[in-house]
Amino acid sequence: MMQRREFNKMLALAAASAAVRANAQSPARVAPAPAGDGIAWDKAPCRFCGTGCHVRVGVKNGRVVAIEGDQLADVNKGLLCVKGYHVGLALYGKDRLTQPLLRRNGVLEPISWEEAIETIAQKVMAAPAQFAIYGSGQWTIPEGYAANKFIKGGLSSNHIDPNARLCMASAVTGFLSVYGVDEPAGCYDDLDKCDVLLMWGNNMAEMHPVLFSRVIDRRTRGEKVTLIDLGTRRTRTTEFCDHYLEFRPNSDLAIMNGIAHLLIKKNTFDPKFVEKFCNFRQAPKDPAASPAAPLLGDPMSFAEYKAALEPYTPEHVEKLSGVPAEKIRLLGDLFANKDIRITSTWCMGFNQHTRGTNANRLCHGIHLLSGHFGRPGDAPTSLTGQPSACGTAREVGTLCHFLPGGRLILNAEHRKETEKLWNLPEGRINPKIGHHTVLMWEKFCTPADKGGDIRTLWVQVTNPGQSLPNLNKLFKAKAGQPEKFLIVSDVYRTATTELADLVLPSAMWVEKNGMYGNSERRTQQWFRMVKPPGDARDDAWQMIAVARKLHDLGHAGMKDKDGRFLFALKNDKGEEVPVWEWPRYYDINVDKVLFEEYRAFSRYKHKDLAPYDVYVKSRGLRWPVVQQPDGTWRETKFRFSEFDDPYVKKGAEIQFYHSVTKDDKALIWFAPAERAPEEPDAEFPFWLCTGRVLEHWHTGSMTRRVPQLHAAMPHAYVEMHPEDARERGFANGETIVVKTRRGELKLPVWVDGRGHPPRGSLFIPFFDERLMCNDLTIDAVDPISKEPDYKKCAATVARAAATP
Amino acid sequence: MSDALSRRGFFAAFSTPFARKVEAVPQPVARPAAGSAEAKVAVVQGRFCLALTSFCSVCIERCPVPGAMKKERGVPMVVADVCTGCGVCREVCPAPRNAVLMLPRRPSTRRHSV
Repeated sequence: MMQRREFNKMLALAAASAAVRANAQSPARVAPAPAGDGIAWDKAPCRFCGTGCHVRVGVKNGRVVAIEGDQLADVNKGLLCVKGYHVGLALYGKDRLTQPLLRRNGVLEPISWEEAIETIAQKVMAAPAQFAIYGSGQWTIPEGYAANKFIKGGLSSNHIDPNARLCMASAVTGFLSVYGVDEPAGCYDDLDKCDVLLMWGNNMAEMHPVLFSRVIDRRTRGEKVTLIDLGTRRTRTTEFCDHYLEFRPNSDLAIMNGIAHLLIKKNTFDPKFVEKFCNFRQAPKDPAASPAAPLLGDPMSFAEYKAALEPYTPEHVEKLSGVPAEKIRLLGDLFANKDIRITSTWCMGFNQHTRGTNANRLCHGIHLLSGHFGRPGDAPTSLTGQPSACGTAREVGTLCHFLPGGRLILNAEHRKETEKLWNLPEGRINPKIGHHTVLMWEKFCTPADKGGDIRTLWVQVTNPGQSLPNLNKLFKAKAGQPEKFLIVSDVYRTATTELADLVLPSAMWVEKNGMYGNSERRTQQWFRMVKPPGDARDDAWQMIAVARKLHDLGHAGMKDKDGRFLFALKNDKGEEVPVWEWPRYYDINVDKVLFEEYRAFSRYKHKDLAPYDVYVKSRGLRWPVVQQPDGTWRETKFRFSEFDDPYVKKGAEIQFYHSVTKDDKALIWFAPAERAPEEPDAEFPFWLCTGRVLEHWHTGSMTRRVPQLHAAMPHAYVEMHPEDARERGFANGETIVVKTRRGELKLPVWVDGRGHPPRGSLFIPFFDERLMCNDLTIDAVDPISKEPDYKKCAATVARAAATP
Repeated sequence: MSDALSRRGFFAAFSTPFARKVEAVPQPVARPAAGSAEAKVAVVQGRFCLALTSFCSVCIERCPVPGAMKKERGVPMVVADVCTGCGVCREVCPAPRNAVLMLPRRPSTRRHSV
């Protein structure tokens, strides 16, 4: 039997048409491919998820013709998932956007780039404060940096937010309020070292398949690793797990409190670790006291913490969660055992939760309380869904309350530092935080005379027309409001371009230079390898061109304090290059110039980045990347641990050097178990959960155009328990109606399909733009992270024929 | 499981290529009926199957014939006696090299074990 790791030697030759696909049998090859076949190879991180696998991209005659796993990459060691093998085909859907389109009399008609840029500039100029940018964790680092500088440094507005708000915001507030600095301390190496892996609402087999195969691979090598799935429905991941703990939606908070309760009750927590490295915190009595109050919390003594946990006995937790008390005890015993190493992973299960910040805090809390922290294999680690949610959204700070490098809009000192680094006059940066995602879209969809203070909205690299919750309220309500102007930069037509007034064709992935930052703090770089189709252009160019047009129209904000244009970029000889003219854009490496400028921001929170050229030679490096006496650059795998992190002082063992309490200690939070914002009742008796599938990436705008992936997963469905289906007389595949208080959707029911929801529970994937489950979802958000809950709301089902 | 809840037919209607605003949709080529002179049987070539190195369950999920596919050590296998040779598993296999071979259902092909 072939070893798992040898499989990657297979070359995934990408044939664009289905007809070719049927007959094509690409030759199996050992990398590196032999010379002489006319294929030029280069490296790039995969375009899809936040795992950050590296691929080798084979180019021939100006076209990506082959993809293979990169054996030099630590993350994937040559392996890819089903999406990764086909990533090259995402470029070659038949309906790529190739020219700017302006809506006239309801129809999108081709216009020139000059007209498009002029149109945007005029809209911004007319009302700069009512202009907003909505980006994503798929923006490259330089793209996000350009957008951030343009709006915050140029327009003195903070109305910029990425779709990461819908995805990672609760992880951010979790890390910030526990460690005082964002992003995981551990890394993927923990997956190779842990004895126990707890996956909290985390279907890793489908969402991070390469990481999960890294774990399963250990088993095939004879290592023992105990896998525990804590979830609200059985998934592909569950099949591989030693334990499956199915809990009532939202009761993850109770389970974690149950673990902490047992650690205290049985005196099996780690008093030495807690005393040396931890303080206790609870929700503030007055969350409105200051904007930071919910993040800082109120101090709490150990005795108070203990008392707060008192009610969470295993039996009480069983009552709240449905997980048998003995299983809660099993978890308590695992955390009590210091001889084993425990890694927790989570993703949307915790984050998309109206108590998402608290879920994150409690998970860090049980690791800290038990001392399962800071050794390889002992780590609480969040996983991201987008390739640069960490690199761009979180580190560059393209959120409405952030400045680059972990700085805050509300902090006067941070604004001053940013103004200095951008060479801006003092006071240029607006001290008021902008609209977060849900608020931004609510304001955009609300008429101006009713308080809708966003008039023009520019979307880049994301598809909110499908991915926002409660679409009827937050997106579709834009229709019929002529004073609202929606600009969309994308590579294909999507649900979002349906309502766009101006559509800009973008270059994607290896059609441009780029940099991403993955889930484990790894910054990655790639070069442009092929030209974009037609007149498609880089997203960063689009932003810089609009900034230049505003500059020429006399917008004072487009100049720094010395009167120079914000994006006056220079070549190696120190000469300014007019990169806003498209033919000149690649005269210099704009990515390199912007990244070197951005690097200066990275030191403040010890997220040190290496020079651009160091990333060119590597398959990504994990920050802080610190220069050694011999001039080389060293990455950091385990942050806050003396044995690996150069910023921990000698003898400290563990040092949380960005501690909220300024005493090098992390915070263990108490948070109570709470109910979901909407729960099943007589009228809407089902829980509705939404999510992703293995074959498609998020809204499917790329993967649904890859014939192999589309054939493998062609249609959305609703998963239901067989008994629930039988009771209602639904046949498998029958079209039914799923209805919530916000909308309804007709789709086929899939019983005993890939996932297995418990009785009284439904699941719908969100990849299918013909069947958008976000017509149904609720727009309730976590009060701290402002992240919505896509994982639970109340729904009902009916026969399709029975509805009028 | 009652017949109403069997897998048969699920997904069958959905396999059309996706592109926005593209009207012409190539139709799948008609397959010979099982039992005819051209009848075939599917074989999963383990070395090309994504379930070996990663995670994939598409062919098993989509096989319309109950009992024609099973999972052995995580990798799908075809039960030749039950397989009708319909070819759905080959059509939906998303592996970079299609892992499903359709062999003529003739005794002489038995030695072409893979």
